[in-house]
Amino acid sequence: MSLAAEAFVSQIAAVEPWPENATLYQPLKDDQILLSDHASSLAVQAYLRMCTLPVQVACRANAEYMSPSGKVPFIHVGNQVVSELGPIVQFTKAKGHSLSDGLNEVQKAEMKAYMELVNSMLLTAELYILWCDENTAKQITVPRYSTPYPWPLNHILAYQKQWEVKRKMKAIGWAGKTIDQVYEDVSQCCQALSQRLGTQPYFFNKQPTELDALVFGHLFTILTTELTSDALAERVKNYSNLLSFCQRIEKNYFGDNDSSSIVGRISPFS
Amino acid sequence: MGTVHARSLDPLPMTGPDFGVHGDDVEFVEVQPESKQEVLENKDVIVQRVHIDGLGRTKEDFLGYEIAELFTAKNLIDVMKKAHEAREKLLRLGIFRQVEVVIDTCQEEDALPNGLDVTFEVKEMRRLTGSYNTMVGNNEGSMVLGLKLPNLFGRAEKLTFQFSYGTKETSYGLSFFKPQPGYFERNFAINLYKVTGQFPWSSLRETDRGISTEINFPIWKTNHTLKWEGVWRELGCLARTASFAIREESGHSLKSSISHAMVIDTRNSTILPRQGFLLKVNQELAGYTGGDASFLKEDIEIQLNRRLFWDSVFSASLWGGLLIPIGEKPSCIADRFYLGGPTSVRGFSMYSIGPQSEGDYLGGEAYWAGGVHLYTPLPFRPGRGGFGDLFRTHFFLNAGNLCNLNYGEGPHAHLQKLAECIRWSYGAGIVLRLGNIARLELNYCIPMGVQSGDRICDGVQFGAGIRFL
Repeated sequence: MSLAAEAFVSQIAAVEPWPENATLYQPLKDDQILLSDHASSLAVQAYLRMCTLPVQVACRANAEYMSPSGKVPFIHVGNQVVSELGPIVQFTKAKGHSLSDGLNEVQKAEMKAYMELVNSMLLTAELYILWCDENTAKQITVPRYSTPYPWPLNHILAYQKQWEVKRKMKAIGWAGKTIDQVYEDVSQCCQALSQRLGTQPYFFNKQPTELDALVFGHLFTILTTELTSDALAERVKNYSNLLSFCQRIEKNYFGDNDSSSIVGRISPFS
Repeated sequence: MGTVHARSLDPLPMTGPDFGVHGDDVEFVEVQPESKQEVLENKDVIVQRVHIDGLGRTKEDFLGYEIAELFTAKNLIDVMKKAHEAREKLLRLGIFRQVEVVIDTCQEEDALPNGLDVTFEVKEMRRLTGSYNTMVGNNEGSMVLGLKLPNLFGRAEKLTFQFSYGTKETSYGLSFFKPQPGYFERNFAINLYKVTGQFPWSSLRETDRGISTEINFPIWKTNHTLKWEGVWRELGCLARTASFAIREESGHSLKSSISHAMVIDTRNSTILPRQGFLLKVNQELAGYTGGDASFLKEDIEIQLNRRLFWDSVFSASLWGGLLIPIGEKPSCIADRFYLGGPTSVRGFSMYSIGPQSEGDYLGGEAYWAGGVHLYTPLPFRPGRGGFGDLFRTHFFLNAGNLCNLNYGEGPHAHLQKLAECIRWSYGAGIVLRLGNIARLELNYCIPMGVQSGDRICDGVQFGAGIRFL
């Protein structure tokens, strides 16, 4: 799409109100979705709930390939398709829904920095554990990732994905890390978040922002997902203010109003 | 004793494009009895020896089957006829560049008075042949590199490799072919390929990586092909603006199918035939040998040609197909049928008939299409007997329909659905034959029965292809 066309589309997006039938697409939640994808999906759901924008969740085995960027989740709103949290935040902003409008420039920069920290540390650590830790990859990641496919496609696609992740790890210098170093990184990231949060209800005091949605998505998924060992969850559990932060968001945004509450939404990997 | 030289004219063209007027009746061998020499024509002769000169890596036992018939010849005319047939058989193997036949009286010690020697002077193909083409089409340019190893193990096995490097897509194919000795039509082939196609009418990109094996064999007047194919298909959107229906089809699937094709072809030429009949039936069953695509697909093609007055030809064809998904999964967009365009129902844009979503055509599970043509030579016949014979004018009437079937309504409802909203068109145009493999058409079309959503091409339409309705 040309720039002009893209600008035109976002103009239209601004005019059209948020439709009732907006849908979020993610992989199959029972047998397919991986920790990292679930975290991203939960972050987007939390964000949309914070914005009070209704969205239905649809599970598709080919969600990854349906997504325009190849990453899940993505939302289908009207005739627009937008994937990942960052672009979705931009998209809702164009429609007049924003959580970070009340922040000043310094706070906005700070928010972006912490979001970057979560993406570069937590998300990368999740991917590392899922695909580069041989035990987890063999017992959990590969079987789950390849559920929808018949032999021999299941092996090919899982291998392809693993190779891709490993290549990415090499590019960012994570390939040489041991699993303990990765856990240590997660700890440091959590410590930074915990210090920033302090005793506030949300990162920027009373009002949640997209940073809160992102942190919630990752931490809540890590806490409620069973992996080969619970080392990852233990690191997060060391920070009590982060735990109560997760509980707060769960209660406030995923509480009573929806029968399929978040606990049902998350299925521990077995 | 006299000598009779029976040497045929040019080597026969092998398979492949052959521009120019194709000899429908090949000129026969030339015989020049010289004076003073005995006329052998009506005498009984015996073929004592058959030599094949010029063999390098070809195994002799393999050629024995091709020339065996020659020994049954009883008189000279017969010998020449059978030698000619044997020569054609040898050329058909695709392992010789040139075959010449020399018939001579037998010179050996044990020569019978009426004994003959037949010598085939052959020139083998090179071990490795290559080709290089550039192609332009569909907003894409590509370079095609072909390598062929004919006669790989000395028994007409063939290994071909084709690599196409395009500005957008890269495709390749590797195939191995082996005929049964003495029965060239019975053969076996195995193919490995990767093909990427862009289908702008559906905003779809498809990458196929596959392996297939097939056996071809004739039974009476029919040709049969049994094939197993395993394809890993990757579908994706061609652009961000693709409709959501196409987006939903994205992803990977594996098709493993067994198919059977039967062909009866009595036409004198595949492009612009003057007489004859073609029946093609193809059936494919997917899902029972693995993979996640399950369906039964039937496809049929009939064509009848009849020569009328003043060199004009009447031709009628009918196509039909049905795709029945097995199990609960709906059919995949890559398996469905498409209709419309200058090679099927003229006057409509390429594959732009039937179910669509936001301008992307989704194909259908059932279709039929029929057409009648009247082909005539060009008015006033310019270039008669030469270049002008490659052209024909034609008048046509096409009709067809494509739809999805909701299984459970019963066959009667299905027939009714196919009979509703028939698209049809008529017009006239010029056809150019490109060798014996393809043809070009320039037509003026008037589409009728257009349904909402169909994309039409009212007026002049240009088409190129190898399969025509």
